[in-house]
Amino acid sequence: MTDVTFPLQSDADQRAIATLRRKNAVWRRILKDPPAAAAALFLVIVVLAAVLAPWIAPFDPYSNNMRLRLCPIGGARCPDYLLGADNQGRDMLSRILFGLRATLGMGVTAVAVGGGLGALIGLSAAYFKRLDQPLMRLIDVLLSFPSILFGLAIAAVLGTGLTSLVIALSIAAVPSIARIARGAAQSIMQQEYMEAGRAVGLGDGALIWRYLALNCWPTILIYMTLQLGQAILLGAALSFLGLGAQPPTAELGSMAADGRKFLSIAPHVSTIPCAAIFLVVLAFNVLGDALRDALDPKLRQ
Amino acid sequence: MARHIAQRLMISLPVLLGVLMIGFLLLQVVPTDPATVVAGPSATKAEVEAIRQQMGLDRPLWVQFAGYLGRVLQLNLGRSMISNRPVVDEIALTFWPTVELMLACLIWAVPLGISLGTLAARRRGTTIDRAIMALSVMGVSVPVFWVGLILIQYVGGAGLLPFQGRNGPIWTADGLISIILPAVTLGAVFVGPVARMTRTSLLETLGADYVRTARAKGASDWRVTIRHALRNAMIPVVTLVGLQIGFLLGGSIVTETMFAWPGVGRMAVGAITSNDFPLAQGAILILAVGFMVVNLIVDVLYAYLDPRIARS
Repeated sequence: MTDVTFPLQSDADQRAIATLRRKNAVWRRILKDPPAAAAALFLVIVVLAAVLAPWIAPFDPYSNNMRLRLCPIGGARCPDYLLGADNQGRDMLSRILFGLRATLGMGVTAVAVGGGLGALIGLSAAYFKRLDQPLMRLIDVLLSFPSILFGLAIAAVLGTGLTSLVIALSIAAVPSIARIARGAAQSIMQQEYMEAGRAVGLGDGALIWRYLALNCWPTILIYMTLQLGQAILLGAALSFLGLGAQPPTAELGSMAADGRKFLSIAPHVSTIPCAAIFLVVLAFNVLGDALRDALDPKLRQ
Repeated sequence: MARHIAQRLMISLPVLLGVLMIGFLLLQVVPTDPATVVAGPSATKAEVEAIRQQMGLDRPLWVQFAGYLGRVLQLNLGRSMISNRPVVDEIALTFWPTVELMLACLIWAVPLGISLGTLAARRRGTTIDRAIMALSVMGVSVPVFWVGLILIQYVGGAGLLPFQGRNGPIWTADGLISIILPAVTLGAVFVGPVARMTRTSLLETLGADYVRTARAKGASDWRVTIRHALRNAMIPVVTLVGLQIGFLLGGSIVTETMFAWPGVGRMAVGAITSNDFPLAQGAILILAVGFMVVNLIVDVLYAYLDPRIARS
C-alpha cells in the first residue's frame, strides 16, 4: 500500500486513520497466516453446518434402528451412514451435526451472556471510581473459584442439564472479561472526549454507552472469541461427567461419554465426537492466537 | 518476606469468606428441602417440622450462616446423606489421592514443558520451534477425556498398565504403576501451556541487557540461556502454573472419574449426581480452599524468585 500523506489533519483524524489501517492490517495478517486462515475457514464451515443442521442432516439424529447398532464407518450394514452408527443404531453424522449445534450454541450463549455481564461490571468499575474496589474484589472472589467448580456447584443446586451448564459457563466467563473490559475502559476514561462529553452535560448512561462501550467493544468482542474455545472445552468436560446435557440429547461431550462403554468394539462412537471437539477448539485457539499476535504490537516484530 | 506473606493472607481472608458464602448460599437455593430428605418419604408433617427445627433451618439466614461458619471452623461439615459418615472423614480419605495425582502430573509435565519451551525459544523460527508450538496449541485444545480414552483403549486395554482405581499408596509398586496412566492423561494437557509460556517469557529475557552482558563476558550460549535468562523467565512461568491449577483441577476431576481414582473430584461428581448435598458442598469447599492455598504458595514462591515483589 502506498503511503499517502494528508496535510492539514488534526491529531484525531490521524489517529482515526491509524486505527482503520490497523484494523485492515489485522485481517490481512490473518489471511496471510495459513494456519489462521485455515482455522477461520474451518470455523465458518462448522458454524454453517451447526446452524443448518436440521436441514442438511441426512437422517433424524434421534431415530434408532437396533439392527444397525454400532455399525462401523463404511460398514456393509449401513451404507448410507457415512460415519457409521452409534450404540442405538442412530446415524453418527446427523448426531455430530446436531451435537455441534448444541455444543456451539452452549458455548456462544454462555460467552455472550457471561461476557455481556462481565463487560457491564468492567465498564461500571472503570466509570464509577467508587465501585471499582468492591466490584474488583467480587471479581477476585469469582476468579478464586475455578470454573469447573461453578459447573459442579450449579449442577449440585439446579440439577444436571443443559440449562445449568450454560449458567455455569456464563458465570465462569464473567471475571476474565470484566477485567479486560475494565482495562480497556480505563484507558478510554483518560481521553479528552470523556471530559468534553461531561462538559456538554451528557448523563452517566450516555457517557458509558456512547463513549465507553462503543470504544471498548472491539477489544471485548475479540476477547470473547478467545474465550469460546475454553468455554466449549469446559462445557464438553462437564457433559462428559454427566453434569451437562443428558442423553439422548446429541451433544458432543455426552456423546463421547456414551461411546465410552463400546470403546473396544466400536471406537468410532466416542472417537468422532472427541475429534470434533478437538478440531473446533483447536480452530478457535489458532485463530485466537493469530488475533492476539496481530493486535499486540509488542509481539509484532 | 514475612510481612509479604501476612499481607497476602489478609487479602485472602475476604476471598475465603466470599467462597464460604457462595458455598452456603448454594445450599440455600437447592430446590429440595433437606429436612424432607433427612426425614424420609414416610415422615409426617410434624416430624419434618421437628427435624427442620433440629437442623436450625427455621432461623434467619444470617444466623444460619454464622452457625455454618462456626461449624466449618470446627471442621464439622455435616454428614453424607448416603453413607451417613462425617463429610470431613470422606474428604480426609479422598484428599491425599487427589494431591498425589496432581503432583504425579506436575512432576513430569512442568519440567518437560519448560525444556520444550526453552528449546523452542533457542531455536526460534526453525521447524523445531514451529513443531513444539503446534504441539502446544494442540495440547491446549484436546479434551482431557479424549487423551484418557485413547490411553485406556490402547495401553490399558492391551493390558500394559492398570487403568481402574488406585491400587495402593504411591510408594508401593502397585500404587506407582496404577498412577501412571492418570498422571500421563492429566499432564498431557499441561505440557502445552507451560512450554508456551516458557518460550514467550524466555524470548523476552533473552533480549535483556544483562543477557547481552553475560554474552559479552564470553559465557556460552546454553549457559547464558539457562543460568541468566531462564531463571528470570521462570517468574511468569510460576505464575502461570499457579493460575493453571484451576485448569488442572478441572482436568483432574475428569481424570479421576475416568480412571476410578478415589479423589475429591470423583467424590464431588458422585455426590452431585446422587443429590448428596452436604458431601457435594464439602467437596466443592475443599477444592476451592485448596485452590486458594495453592495460589498463596505460588505468591510466596513468586516473591522468593523476585525479591522486588515482596519489597514493593
